[in-house]
Amino acid sequence: MNLAIDLIARLAWWLLLAPLLPGVINKVKAWVGGRRGPPVLQLYYDLMRLWQKGVVLSKLASPGFVAGPAVAWVAITAAAMLVPLGPMGAALSFRGDVLLMLYLLALARFCTGWAAMETGSAFEGMGTVREVSYAVLAEAALIAAMLSLSVQTGSVALATMLDPSAGAGAVLLAAGIFTVLLAENCRVPFDDPSTHLELTMIHEAMILDHSGPPLAVILHGASVKLLLFSVLLTEAVLPMGELSPFAKMGALLAGVLTVTISVGLVESLLARFAFRRVPLLLTTAILLCLFALLVAWKGGAV
Amino acid sequence: MSVNLNLLIGLAMGLNLIALGSSRLPALIRTMSLQGVVLGIMPLLMEARFDWQVWLVAFATIGGKGLIIPALLRRAMRAANIQREVDPFIGFVPSLLLGAGGTIAAVALARALPLLPEHAGSLLVPGALASVLTGFILLIGRAKAISQVCGYLILENGIYLFGLLLIHSTPLLVEAGVLLDLTVGVFVIGIIVDRIQRAFDSLDTRKLTVLRE
Amino acid sequence: MTAGPFLLLAALCLVVGVAAGARWPRLWLVLVMTGTIAALVAALIMLLGAPDWEWRNQFSVGGEPLHFRLDALSALFLALVGVVGGAGAVYAGGYWPDSHYPASAPRSRTWWAALILSMLAILLSSNGLHFLIAWELFAISAYFLITLDNAQREVRAAGWLYLAVSHAGTVCLFAFFAGLAARTGSWELGPMREQAGLAPFFWLMLMGFGVKAGVFPLHIWLPSAHANAPSHVSAIMSGVAIKMGVYGIIRFSGWLPAPAAAGWVVLGLGAMGALLGIIFAFAQNDFKRLLAYCSVENVGVIMVGLGAALLASAHGGGLWGQLALAGALLHVWNHGLFKSLLFFGAGSVLHATGTREMSRLGGLWRVMPWTAGLFGVGALAVSSLPPLNGFVSEWLVYLGLFDAVTGRGPAAGAAMLAAILLGMAGALALASFLKAGSVIFLGAARTKAAALAHESGWQMRGPMLVLAALCGLIGLAPVIFWPAVARAVGIWLPAWTPAAAPAPLLTLGTVHVVLALLIAVAATWLWHKAHVNGLRRGLTWDCAYEGPAARMQYSGGSFSSTSAQWFSWILRPVLSLRRPRGPFPSAAVRLETFPEAVLERIVAPVGTAVMQISTAVRRLQHGRLQAYILYIVAGLTALSGLVLLGGAR
Repeated sequence: MNLAIDLIARLAWWLLLAPLLPGVINKVKAWVGGRRGPPVLQLYYDLMRLWQKGVVLSKLASPGFVAGPAVAWVAITAAAMLVPLGPMGAALSFRGDVLLMLYLLALARFCTGWAAMETGSAFEGMGTVREVSYAVLAEAALIAAMLSLSVQTGSVALATMLDPSAGAGAVLLAAGIFTVLLAENCRVPFDDPSTHLELTMIHEAMILDHSGPPLAVILHGASVKLLLFSVLLTEAVLPMGELSPFAKMGALLAGVLTVTISVGLVESLLARFAFRRVPLLLTTAILLCLFALLVAWKGGAV
Repeated sequence: MSVNLNLLIGLAMGLNLIALGSSRLPALIRTMSLQGVVLGIMPLLMEARFDWQVWLVAFATIGGKGLIIPALLRRAMRAANIQREVDPFIGFVPSLLLGAGGTIAAVALARALPLLPEHAGSLLVPGALASVLTGFILLIGRAKAISQVCGYLILENGIYLFGLLLIHSTPLLVEAGVLLDLTVGVFVIGIIVDRIQRAFDSLDTRKLTVLRE
Repeated sequence: MTAGPFLLLAALCLVVGVAAGARWPRLWLVLVMTGTIAALVAALIMLLGAPDWEWRNQFSVGGEPLHFRLDALSALFLALVGVVGGAGAVYAGGYWPDSHYPASAPRSRTWWAALILSMLAILLSSNGLHFLIAWELFAISAYFLITLDNAQREVRAAGWLYLAVSHAGTVCLFAFFAGLAARTGSWELGPMREQAGLAPFFWLMLMGFGVKAGVFPLHIWLPSAHANAPSHVSAIMSGVAIKMGVYGIIRFSGWLPAPAAAGWVVLGLGAMGALLGIIFAFAQNDFKRLLAYCSVENVGVIMVGLGAALLASAHGGGLWGQLALAGALLHVWNHGLFKSLLFFGAGSVLHATGTREMSRLGGLWRVMPWTAGLFGVGALAVSSLPPLNGFVSEWLVYLGLFDAVTGRGPAAGAAMLAAILLGMAGALALASFLKAGSVIFLGAARTKAAALAHESGWQMRGPMLVLAALCGLIGLAPVIFWPAVARAVGIWLPAWTPAAAPAPLLTLGTVHVVLALLIAVAATWLWHKAHVNGLRRGLTWDCAYEGPAARMQYSGGSFSSTSAQWFSWILRPVLSLRRPRGPFPSAAVRLETFPEAVLERIVAPVGTAVMQISTAVRRLQHGRLQAYILYIVAGLTALSGLVLLGGAR
């Protein structure tokens, strides 16, 4: 019984809270730009509307076009269930779950890409190529970041890896993971989610042909992924080891909110980079995580 | 004390990498001047009690490297109408990787060097080595005269870090000498830049090879 | 039950199969199936815990008495030989039938049986001399299988390259076994870790087997051979034959004392090979070449696991080495299964369309739904994505590396770097197979050949189904396979006695099952929901352009262009460009190919230089007697000069 309640609470956190994040980001952007902006709950309305709508399918698409988003959504949600939630811990924790989380995100990437390529549109091809190519560098940065966390704590399970403070390399790690967050979630300066020029988009270009419930599932999955990265970043950097459960929850919420607002500020203040400059930024992220790893490694030895 | 100092040196090393990754001249100059300020604060942290000589060094460094030289460079850019793009011979990603590899190697090397026990835990020597290396990469890998000046300055920052090792015995000597050299150098370059600009309508050092006969 | 009778049955069947192959195809199929199944049963008996099987006979071959042995480590490889050997035999019946290839199909059968027989002999031989004989037979039968279609120049060239490089490796093995025999005084093979003087032989062994395994800088023969061979041959070459090289490396690194640098070198070669191999794979436009390069990557992953194990055993025998080696050994199976599956899929596509160029295909899912689905399963597995088998083995290797790092031992730094490189390689593998799968099977048909393709028959689909099912089984229930792998690890280093399956592996299996169920439910539900809401077919959105054509789709080349640019320093692309000119331009061409860089940039120039030097030296040899006498006089003078000088000192 307890298990069921725990599972429901957890699902509620991940699935219901997630669509709030893009709303907050948009609100911040509007506020910086001096506009009123769409309501914070806009994505909820969009999702509900899309869920009711019919589907237009490309003549070329196979059933994989609809299955892809479903698999991606399951994979992202499963990855989220592995991430501990402050006082609640993770739904499931075992040695090596951190790798399962990374590869579940990869599964989501594969399936979104597969669904995008179904239509034979060059725009979607472009988006997919960018997504999978940048992921190569982002993956290296993430592995380095996770290694630095496990070096600090001597553990390979997310629940214990993320628990204590991150120590001296925390700033480096925070900067590194934040950059990866921007890249993996296709935010400025890697991608501009608000543009409507197909040539310059990544994630939006991949889902050009999706409509109705599959589009809703993709959008919702993307927001869960953003929440996942925010939680990961918060817990990796904030020392929450000895706080009381309520303080932990508060710290987690505050952290996620800070991350979201930072994303909004970055989007308001920065322009999208030219695509040939993206590898430079991602290499920087790799180096940041690598240096965090070296600091954690050497710092523990001294 | 040493922890704060190490943090500052770490920051300076980070600025090295940012300098390597900058693709715009103003950003490069800004990074360099920030590094100058960071370097200027260091002697104050190293000397616990008040010593006017140390304060003098600090102010001279902050003023010189942090304000005057960057201002001169910016003026030169404006005066000579220099395009703000950095023209790399060695691409940004390779130079960044080179710089990072150099930094890691510098840390590893410094552990192997026979240092005084009081400097063993400090990042001074690795920071110095890394800055010198960054300076060299910039000098070798960038085309424009202004970025060469920046490379030269970062190289000098490395030498300054070495000089900090001696701050207890001879606070002013090393630094004053170097800074003096450099100021003269910048003035000379400022004048030359102006002349080259007038003569060639460009500041690309590649074009200077025309002068070899 | 002992393995002996089954091994005898397998050997007999295969020997008769070699003889019967040319004449009686049905009898051959029965014999090969019986043989491979018997071999598989023998291997399973071993893996389930039977004591080592050994057989000696005074009957001598080449002056050495026969000595065969099967233990858990060789049984692990034997099982793979059994599965892929049998599946390939069935597949070949549909793919390379007598009706199409009256000349080469009988040869294919003969050499197929010979190849399996020789691999069986390699795995069983416990005598250096016999090992070498089996190894030669294996190399030769592989050569004849690769060059089945010898009317084509490319195939012949690939065959020659394979034969030459393979023999360069065999030379090292000759030196290795002969040196070993000279040092120990006997050709008998077995554990000899205590004799520290044998350590330098490790390098000869690594060279010799590394060539066959396709370890990165030695892989030069692999892409062209695997791409040009018929697909059932590519499947067994890539899935099983290169594993014989891996077997050699693992076997002898367990038996020989390892030099101090061994672990570092193997780990470094593996990590670099994994990344570089997959970089080359991603750039290829020929889908069989892509698969071939991907084998280089997977061998790299296996080498990383082995390198970690070597390091662990050299530095205090940490348990992480055991995990990494278990991962490597499981990856031997996994790679054998999914790579054969993918090559079978590639063969079906090639069979149906007649081209290996993926940019000429597209939209094949409509005409070949089975092949598309099974290729998709293989692509997910090879990208090591959960819930399939590739992830399980890579996860074990990663876990070993992470444990090495958290242990802060002397190997931590190397393990860190290896883990990061493996992560990049993994992401690139995903990109490569997304490219292969989507350009071949999705979108619209780019040429007529692709539009008129047909699904392959059951004889070709059946083996693919079996392999895909095995991929799924290892992914969903890895715990079943753990004892076998653990026993093999225990053979490699007896100190690592077979342990119970680590608890996380059980959890991982459960998570995979749940994940698979959820995926099925979610996909069905979403499909159903879309139908309930109303489903309409329309044109693909192309910026509101009403006449999208198949040629406008993203091709294989454009798919990998971004990262090919990043890695052009190692890929060395060759670009041929004909720009459109004038008011009425003729056809314009832009063709970018990625040749084998190590071969073209290093081996070929060195070879040319050697040839030039040899030609120059040969000028001395011209048949004029007077000149020869002059040489002799010059030589004598020089010698006497030397003697005089020496005497003076």
